[in-house]
Amino acid sequence: MVIFYLKSCGMNKKIATMDIIGLLARLLAGGVFIYAGFLKAAAPAEEFAYAIETYSVIPAGLSMFAALAVPWIEVYLGVFLAAGVFTRYAALSICAMILAFEGLLLQAIVRKLPVTSCGCFGASMNNSLGYEFSQNLLLLALAAIAWKYGGRISIDSMVESHD
Amino acid sequence: MAVLMLRQSSLAPSRPSPDFRTFGPKDAPIQIYEYTDLACPACRSAEAHLTKSLQLYKGAVRVNFKHYPLSAIHPWSFLAASYADCAGAQGKFTEYAGLLFENQEKWAQAGAKPGEFAAAAVLLKLDIPALEACAADPKTARRVKLDMAEGDLRGVNATPTFFINGKRAVGGAQFLDQVKKFDILLSRIKN
Repeated sequence: MVIFYLKSCGMNKKIATMDIIGLLARLLAGGVFIYAGFLKAAAPAEEFAYAIETYSVIPAGLSMFAALAVPWIEVYLGVFLAAGVFTRYAALSICAMILAFEGLLLQAIVRKLPVTSCGCFGASMNNSLGYEFSQNLLLLALAAIAWKYGGRISIDSMVESHD
Repeated sequence: MAVLMLRQSSLAPSRPSPDFRTFGPKDAPIQIYEYTDLACPACRSAEAHLTKSLQLYKGAVRVNFKHYPLSAIHPWSFLAASYADCAGAQGKFTEYAGLLFENQEKWAQAGAKPGEFAAAAVLLKLDIPALEACAADPKTARRVKLDMAEGDLRGVNATPTFFINGKRAVGGAQFLDQVKKFDILLSRIKN
């Protein structure tokens, strides 16, 4: 089944190790984003809005809008990345989102804001900001690898090989 | 669709709180259920807003205070809730909770059982042996756990969480947003 899939992606040539690593990075990064986005989308938006408010960056009026939009953006980007559709754009967008999250976390750490829940995986997770910052760096690395090497074994390459 | 329904679901009925932590007339048009952790700094700031709202809309608002100790991050919250309820049994819930809020930094992350619980009782001239017996009583713990279970069923994950006529508000800022609409809400009810 795997060989059929790889062949249909135009993979008659030998698969490079980096292609496999790229695929795994794509699946991991995409999976994490789907999971994180779904947790926030399934919870009341008011909770995520509250987490956003604690960062004291976005005006309170916009926090609810962000709380409604961001989880779904995460889910869709995660699906695109994991499935290998618009792979490079999805990976770049995810990298941009992670960088934005890191900016928020860093300013909260520097300003010593009383943020009890990062909000990254819903309001129920209570990891420290430092932990979340480090975790996001790992995710950023995975997304970068997915951007560079994740396109070879993907629906994108399957479509391209049939064109 | 499933996600939206999940988000809106609340499986728990609105069970009234014991009398000593219920404020306002029973038939008030605005019913507020507040899930709070006595060790939570955000809850302390929100309490001031809640008190002002009660004063401003006297007669039109009823507040049911519910315990929702976040024991994972505040190790003494559950015990604080029990002591507060036992102070309530002696008629001093508001004053006792107020003292615990005021001294949060001293007891919230204490390594051993905080002395603030007894100190507050002495300050309020409570019957200390009765307070201690009540705090150790399984019925007191059960009452706090029931509040927590109700909060879980209503999807409470953060404190303070308010339900204002069924509408959720998390944190002081969202609560104030809802308070701004009280006049409109009350005029709609009158008409």
